[in-house]
Amino acid sequence: MTSRNAGIYALLTLGALITLAPFGLGLLTSFTSARQFNTESALSLPHPPTLANYAGLADAGFGRALVVTALMTSVILVSQLTFSVTAAYAFARLDFPGRTVLFWLYLATLMVPATVTVVPLYLMMAEAGLRNTFWALVLPFMFGSPYAIFLLREYFRSIPADLIRAARIDGAGTADVLVHVVLPASRSILVTLALITVVSQWNSFMWPLVITSGAPWRVLTVATAGLQSQFDAQWTLVMAATTVAIVPLIVVFAALGRHIVRSIVVTGIK
Amino acid sequence: MQRRRFRDIVTGYALLAPSLFGVVLFLLLPLLVVGWLSVQHWDLLGPIRFVGADNWRSVLTDADFGRSLLVTLAFVALVVPLQTVLGLLAATLLAAELPGTGFFRTLYVLPWICSPLAIAVLWRWILAPTDGVISTVLQRRIEWLTDPTLALPVVSAVTVWTNVGYVTLFFLAGILAIPTDVLNAARLDGATGWQRFRHVILPMLRPTFFFVLVTGIVSAAQVFDTVYALTGGGPQGRTDLIAHRIYTEAFGAAAVGRAAVMTLILFALLLGVTVVQHLYFRRRVSYDLT
Repeated sequence: MTSRNAGIYALLTLGALITLAPFGLGLLTSFTSARQFNTESALSLPHPPTLANYAGLADAGFGRALVVTALMTSVILVSQLTFSVTAAYAFARLDFPGRTVLFWLYLATLMVPATVTVVPLYLMMAEAGLRNTFWALVLPFMFGSPYAIFLLREYFRSIPADLIRAARIDGAGTADVLVHVVLPASRSILVTLALITVVSQWNSFMWPLVITSGAPWRVLTVATAGLQSQFDAQWTLVMAATTVAIVPLIVVFAALGRHIVRSIVVTGIK
Repeated sequence: MQRRRFRDIVTGYALLAPSLFGVVLFLLLPLLVVGWLSVQHWDLLGPIRFVGADNWRSVLTDADFGRSLLVTLAFVALVVPLQTVLGLLAATLLAAELPGTGFFRTLYVLPWICSPLAIAVLWRWILAPTDGVISTVLQRRIEWLTDPTLALPVVSAVTVWTNVGYVTLFFLAGILAIPTDVLNAARLDGATGWQRFRHVILPMLRPTFFFVLVTGIVSAAQVFDTVYALTGGGPQGRTDLIAHRIYTEAFGAAAVGRAAVMTLILFALLLGVTVVQHLYFRRRVSYDLT
C-alpha cells in the first residue's frame, strides 16, 4: 500500500468514526439501566444490558406511535405512487387539450417550499374539521408528488412506443398497458421513488406536530420530541426513543443502501 | 380515429384527476390562503377577522423577526460553505476508488436518511453539559447549547454533520463523470495532482457546485426539527431560525396572521433562489411534449 493510499484510508476511517460514533453511543445508552447511567461515566458499557428503557417506551405509548407512523407511511407511499404513475402516464403518453398548460402548472408547484404550506394547510384542515385525525396526516401527500410525476414522465417517455403500440394492437386497454408494459419496464425508478417517499414520510415532523395533539395520532418523531421535553435528563429512556425512530430506516438502508445512494443522486431530494 | 382521440382525452383527464386535485388543493390553494391570512387576525380557535395591514406593519417592525432573519442568514452562511467544502473533500477521497470505498460512501449518507428530529435529540445528549458524551470525554462542563456565542455554531455543526454525506454523493457523481481522457491528457502534459484538481476537476464540477449550493441554501433556510429539539430557538433567540419563528408565532403565540406574513416573506426569499435553480434545471429536464 502506498503512503498516499494509507492517507486516504486514514481520512476515510476518521470520517466513518465521526459519522458512526453518535449512533453507537446512543444505541449503547439505550441498553444501559438508568441507575448505572446516573452513577457511572456516560461512556461505560451497559452491564448488564437491559431492555428496561424499551419497556418504559411501551408504557409511554410508543407502540401506538410506531403503528401510526407505519400506517401513515404506507398509506402515503401506496397512494402517492399510484397517482403519480397515472398522472405521469397521461403526461407522457396521452394526447389531450390543456396538457402543456397543466404540465407547466405542476412544474410551478416545485417552487413551493414545504414550510410555506404549513400555516395555510392548518387553517384548511381546521375549517374542514380534520384537526387531530389520521386524514389530516395523510391527505396533503396522498394525491401524488409533482417531483415524482416529472421523473416518471421522463422515464415513461423513454419506453419504446412500439412496445406500447404492440400491446394496443393485441387489444390491451390503458390499464393493461400500464400494469403489464409500463410498470415492469420502470421498476428501478419506482424503487427509487418508493424509498424517497418512505424516508421523507417516516421522518416528517413539523406537519404531524402541528396538526395532531395528544396520544391518538401521535407519530414517532412527535412522541420522541415530547419524551425529551418531559424527561429531559432521563437520557437512557430518550436514547431508546431515538433508536426506535432511527433503526427501522437503518434496516431499510442496510438492505437497499445501493438503491438509496442512487436514488439520492437521481432525484436530488429527500 | 376521432373515436380514439376522444378516448385519449377522457382517459387522460381521468388519470390526471387525483393528482390535479392534490396539486390545486394542497399546493396552490395554500398560497392563496396564506396571502388571505396575512391580512386577518386568527388565534387558532376564535373567529377570523379582517385587520388590513396590521400584521404586515407589526411584523416588519418586529425586532424578534429581524433577528430571526439575521440568525437564519448567519446559519446558512455557516452551514452551506462548510458542508460543501467537506463534501468535496470526502468525494475527492472516495473518487480514488480504492477497494472498500463503496462501504464508506454508503456509511456517510446514514445521518442524512435518519429523522432530523431524532438526530437532534441524539446530539442533545452528546452535548449535554453534565452527563453528555463530550463533557465526559473532556472532563469539563461546557454549555454548548445555552451559551449565546456557542449555540448557533453548534447547531450549524450538527446540521453539517447530517448533510455532508449527501453533498459528497453529488460531488462524487460529478467527479466520476469527468472523462478519464481529459484527466489522462492533463497527466501527460505533466500536471501534478493538485494542478489536475484545481484546473481540470474543479472547473468541470461547476454544475455540481451550483446544484449543491442552491439546494443547500433552500434546505438550510427551512431547518426546523434541529433547532426545535436542540435549543428551542434559544438562548435569547440566538438560534431562532425563521421556520422555528413561524412555528412559534402561529402555534405558540397563536398569532396566525403574523405567521402568515412571515411565511410570505420566507416564500419570496426562497423563490428568488428556486427560480435560479429551475432556470438551471431546464437544461437537464426535457419539456418537449411532442
